[in-house]
Amino acid sequence: MAQRFRHDWPLLLMTLPAMAQLAVFFYWPSAWNIIAFMDYSPHRPFWENPLVGFAWFERLFNNPYFLPALLNTLKYSFANLLFLFPLSIVLALVMHSVVSTKVRSVFQSIVYLPYFFSWVLVVTVFVQTLGSDGLVSNWLLGFGGDRLSFMSNPDTFMFLAWLQWAWKDAGWGMIIFLAALASINPSLYEAAAVDGASRWRRMWHITLPGIRPVIVLLLILHIGGILTVGFEQYQLQRDAIGYQTTEVLDTFIYYRSVIGTEGASFGTAAGLFKGVIGLILVLIANNVAHRLGEQGIYQKS
Amino acid sequence: MTAIDIKLKPRKSARPVWDEEPSWFGKFVKALFLIAYGAAIVLPIWAVVATSFASEESLASAGGNLLLIPTDFSIAAYQEIFDGGALTKSLILTIGLTAGGTALSMVLTIGAAYGLSRTGSLLHRPLLMLVLFTFLFAPGLYPSFLVVQKLGLFNNYLSIILPMALSAFNLIVLRAFFMNSVPTELLDAARMDGAGEFRTLFKIVLPMSKAILAVIALFYAVGYWNIYFSAVLYIPGLETQPIQVVLQRMLMSTQGLPGAAANVSQYQSAAPDAALKMAVVVCTIIPIVIMYPFIQKHFTKAVITGAIKG
Repeated sequence: MAQRFRHDWPLLLMTLPAMAQLAVFFYWPSAWNIIAFMDYSPHRPFWENPLVGFAWFERLFNNPYFLPALLNTLKYSFANLLFLFPLSIVLALVMHSVVSTKVRSVFQSIVYLPYFFSWVLVVTVFVQTLGSDGLVSNWLLGFGGDRLSFMSNPDTFMFLAWLQWAWKDAGWGMIIFLAALASINPSLYEAAAVDGASRWRRMWHITLPGIRPVIVLLLILHIGGILTVGFEQYQLQRDAIGYQTTEVLDTFIYYRSVIGTEGASFGTAAGLFKGVIGLILVLIANNVAHRLGEQGIYQKS
Repeated sequence: MTAIDIKLKPRKSARPVWDEEPSWFGKFVKALFLIAYGAAIVLPIWAVVATSFASEESLASAGGNLLLIPTDFSIAAYQEIFDGGALTKSLILTIGLTAGGTALSMVLTIGAAYGLSRTGSLLHRPLLMLVLFTFLFAPGLYPSFLVVQKLGLFNNYLSIILPMALSAFNLIVLRAFFMNSVPTELLDAARMDGAGEFRTLFKIVLPMSKAILAVIALFYAVGYWNIYFSAVLYIPGLETQPIQVVLQRMLMSTQGLPGAAANVSQYQSAAPDAALKMAVVVCTIIPIVIMYPFIQKHFTKAVITGAIKG
């Protein structure tokens, strides 16, 4: 041990700053989750906070705003999965079938760019183009039509969210799938074509099986994050659309607990609920992936 | 001579011989789809840029917030941004946060990626597990907020950088690169020559990893540049806010939403309202567009190798 330490201490020293960061900003807050089981008050010493078991979770599930927030989260999460995933794959397949490398690189650059934009930027651009005072509304007025109202209409928020995901994130999915497509051995296509397989049959029997590991990997990651739909897209449109439609778990915790009146233990319980469900789902999804003979995100070793 | 060269060079764009030509209808639908999708992304961005250079009169005659075809050219909005007021301060702050944060992130990431790249070194496995566990669980919003408060970092700019300083994903990607793409023979040779780990890292490993290091640094930089939520959460009380927060306040004022007016008065100005707002948007886009070609060139490979081998 001492000898290995004498040998390896520089490696440990290099790892130390990152470990310190993880300890302070990941593991320490993780440990603070214990206050979900306490009647926590910042005004008394930590050990004097009484343990209350699952009382805060009971209070959470009985909160009239919690269930709608949970259902919204699941709704947007599944909508994102069912819409963005196929769209990314379709974009990648179309791009892959384009023969001209010039067209490919131009289109890739364009579609992928908004992925790096912040949500503030994306929502601003949407308000300016599709909002009631925006570009399209002005055209419609010019043609004698009505202003668009769907940037502030709760009933069509799902459609708006689709547009925003398609605008911002589809290019990212496309790049991932394109890379997966590029790793398929081209001689497979050639052999199939020589044997008389049509374009569609080649796609079905070579392309899709070829990108299956990537699809499974992304699915697992997505399932683990099923209760994490992001904060910004919903918070930024909360005032325009209304909180009933845009309340997701993260905004619920922020508005009810961090700046609201529900207190630390309540917000922590809500976050812990989210974290534990996420943990369980990742483990299950990975297990299922292993059973289906896929690699998943970690090996069993 | 050149003619022969061109002939010998295989044309990448050519359709392979075994692949049949698609029907004109298929080609047409495909082209239409690509053009429409591309236009839906490019046109709004173009309108933003065009509007940021518009004068009051041309904006008024276009009757809206955005115009597609600029009729004149005014840089009033940009003068406003760079006149040393609240917007200038915000931009300088955001640049500072981005530079400082990225530097710190790189130190943490490189150190840990190299420190954990030697399987079988002391504590290698448990430390790696500590990193990997962050993929499975999230500590939650409130506990993180509480820790920032306990550290006395609430309403301190450090609270924007420190909590997001390390991305376990980038760490794993870089570690995979160090393990798979830096030849072991070189490392062994360096050790034979008596070079320590620090020397090996700086003289051999880092110079061989320039491209991936640049990509990871750019990813961190984009993350810091786009910071919005941590600013809302951790520094609500500070006067100078990151540029995204400023943009959000200006946006709220457009929508005529309650509570926005008080925040926005400090950005009222001589430049046309819409032009000023769009000029801020352009300022937040420019750094990304400058970095973008580089990210695009090197990034895909890095992420995919990381995701698959990690």
